[in-house]
Amino acid sequence: MRDVQRWRASLISTMGVALASWAGIASAELTLRSEVEAQRVGVQDQVQLTVTMSGDGMPDNVPMPALTNLRVVSGPFTSSQLSVVNGVASHSRSFIYALQPQAVGPAEIGEIRIKVGPTAYVAPPIVIEVVPGSIRPRGNAAPDPMDPFGGEDPFEMFRRRPGRGPEPKLFLEAVVNRDRAFVGEPVLLTYYLYTTISVTDFRFVESPTYAGFWSEALPPPARSRGGDVVNVKGETFRRFALIQKLLFPTKAGRVIVPGSTFKVGVETGGGFFGPQQQVVERTTTALTVNADPIPDERGFSGAVGRFTAQAHLDKTNVALGEAVTLRFEVAGNGNLKWIDRPPEVKVTGAKVYPPQMSSDLRATPSGISGTKTWEFVVVPDTGGALTVPALTFSYFEPELRQIEHAETAPITFQVKGGAAAGAPSAGRASGSRAGGPLALRSDLDLPLRTGSHLSPRALAGLVGLLLAVHGALWATPWLLDRRPDVAGRPTGRGRSRRALADLERAGQDGMSKEASVALIEKTLHDVFGSLEDDASAPPTDRERAAREVLQEVYFIRYAPQLGDYSEQIRSVARRAAEVVRKWA
Amino acid sequence: MRRRLGLALGLLLLPAAAPVWAQAPSSAAPLDPAARFREGNELFRTGDYPKAIEAYRAVAATGAESASLYWNWAQAALARNNTGEALWALLRAREIEPGDRAVSREIERLRESANLDPAEIAPVPLAGVNRASRRFHLDIVALALLVASVVLHGLTRRARHLARLSAAADVTLGLGLLLAAAPLAGGFAQPTAVVVTAGAPLQDAASPTAGTIGTLREGEVVVVLAESDGYLRIEDSSGARGWTAAAWKLERPAGVVSHE
Repeated sequence: MRDVQRWRASLISTMGVALASWAGIASAELTLRSEVEAQRVGVQDQVQLTVTMSGDGMPDNVPMPALTNLRVVSGPFTSSQLSVVNGVASHSRSFIYALQPQAVGPAEIGEIRIKVGPTAYVAPPIVIEVVPGSIRPRGNAAPDPMDPFGGEDPFEMFRRRPGRGPEPKLFLEAVVNRDRAFVGEPVLLTYYLYTTISVTDFRFVESPTYAGFWSEALPPPARSRGGDVVNVKGETFRRFALIQKLLFPTKAGRVIVPGSTFKVGVETGGGFFGPQQQVVERTTTALTVNADPIPDERGFSGAVGRFTAQAHLDKTNVALGEAVTLRFEVAGNGNLKWIDRPPEVKVTGAKVYPPQMSSDLRATPSGISGTKTWEFVVVPDTGGALTVPALTFSYFEPELRQIEHAETAPITFQVKGGAAAGAPSAGRASGSRAGGPLALRSDLDLPLRTGSHLSPRALAGLVGLLLAVHGALWATPWLLDRRPDVAGRPTGRGRSRRALADLERAGQDGMSKEASVALIEKTLHDVFGSLEDDASAPPTDRERAAREVLQEVYFIRYAPQLGDYSEQIRSVARRAAEVVRKWA
Repeated sequence: MRRRLGLALGLLLLPAAAPVWAQAPSSAAPLDPAARFREGNELFRTGDYPKAIEAYRAVAATGAESASLYWNWAQAALARNNTGEALWALLRAREIEPGDRAVSREIERLRESANLDPAEIAPVPLAGVNRASRRFHLDIVALALLVASVVLHGLTRRARHLARLSAAADVTLGLGLLLAAAPLAGGFAQPTAVVVTAGAPLQDAASPTAGTIGTLREGEVVVVLAESDGYLRIEDSSGARGWTAAAWKLERPAGVVSHE
């Protein structure tokens, strides 16, 4: 009986508290306020705006205030609180924005106005002064609401943390699905997390750059709730696929996938106040992918993968001057996203304008699949049946290791409008831009053969040959003169010329008598030999003439020095020259 | 001895002169170029410009190239509003017939309509020297003078009383060398090409997948630095270098004409 009374009493008291609480909530008046953490910030700082509503009848959202000289970096992030103080419960909801000043000067957050029923609630505007640089202490910077570390240095957090425990057992691994691929062939890169403890957050320390690759982000990989259980070096880990990317090598050779560093938030063993948060950094090892070159040929699009091509016209009967649209579509899986070059389309009798391109592509772990379409506008210049020739899309098929050709069928369309001659075709009309065509020439007028020109090489050869002939004409007599006789002396005209020149010098320029006669004597011996008497044979006229001159030379040489012999020397020299001219 | 020397010289000159005859069009053409040319004219008159150009191209492929052929080709290209191709055809006509004034006037008219600077269609000055030497047949004149100088020189060697001809031999030799210098220098002119497509891309490699580094001006004459698989490595008037498949060479041997 006593228990029943006690139960009743507690039930009544509980209901009383609940009713009081409900009454407290129900009777709370709605309030709205906006606040910033600082009203003087640097242009490099961020400022956090918190809009808080509390009370009854709160709307789900608050309007974004007008911002002057500020922009939203992130947010809004919402948080709700329910508190009971002295039996009075209060419910509030906060909307948090991270704002970035745009320039030095005044900035303002406009007033916020919400209306609940007939009553309007207003939060007044906030004026902020933006000064150059950064004036807020590093530790007091507005934390990014999405930053699990609250803007703090995780290492600092580690240092502050009392009772630092053992290093958490976790690591990251980057894996590629192949280490050899062709240029343009997709390589799937997956980042795996191996852990033995709970992980609350992870992110790149710095977004990785993949030099030598085109990279394409993939949607987050599906992963099982508890991850895959794997054994690494005798220890059991749970493995989670975190991030996947498609990499397309852009050049042949060894291409490096650099190591990436992650910040990982983990929960470590419970202390006095329960589990503690810790942030650790882990770096993956770099990987190497060997990219093989792909062959090139004229018309090769650069596509790597497997594709099909089709072409069609929007109409097959048009009037002259009317345009048709040729649609060329390539579908398949590979690196289609980076193929921008359309096939070359030439339609005889029509002008083809540069195409418009559109694409419907999606990234999958096996590559980028979908379609890419080029639309050409074709304007006929002439009437009759015109044919769009077969269009070829060349791509490299990695499995076959060769360039394949996806070819469309030729398409014929009819252009009505009679003879195109009288019709003002698009080409003729626009041709007037440059003044229009002039009269044709009726005869081919091939140049005459005599009008042909020598190639520079032939001309150089002929000129060189003629110069050589000139040289030969000049050099032949000189070479003949230079040919030595059996005694080793020069013969012929050359020797005579030199002898005459020597004789011309005799007695000139103050040459002494002895020197002059010696020169004449030597010259005669050079031309005629020793000129000694030979008892066995009578002297020839030639020898006789030379000896006579030589006798006169001896006379002058041995004559007493009684006067000036220059006249006699010149006379003998002249006679010697005559003998040389006549007999040499 | 002298007679033998003359015979030997004649035999030496014979193979060197062979290229003169080798430049004549092949007589084994499968079709009559004049008839095909007239057919192209008829197609032009009916307004079928593409087929007219096909006909002119076929004539050019036989080696029967003339200024008239390229003049008509240019008119057909103009009718299709292909200024670059028309300019190429006219410049090609000027290469064949440098003295054709109508061609020169039309080139000037097209240059102005395409807003091209005179230097943009004449990037290689030596090409002008080459053209002038062809126009005035300086190669033939120079060779004639050189042969005359050889003859005069030979006469002075043969007979002493003709020694006064030695000065005449020297003068003709000097003149011959001077005139021969022009075509020889023109031979060093770099080949050129004409951009025949509006907005043609200048690419960083000779590949259809190469990146675009600039845009070429239609009708601009560019210097050809290299050639690879249908692509030309060129330098445009701004000094930019790259590859393009949208330029047709001006200096190409007879019978070889770019196809679109």
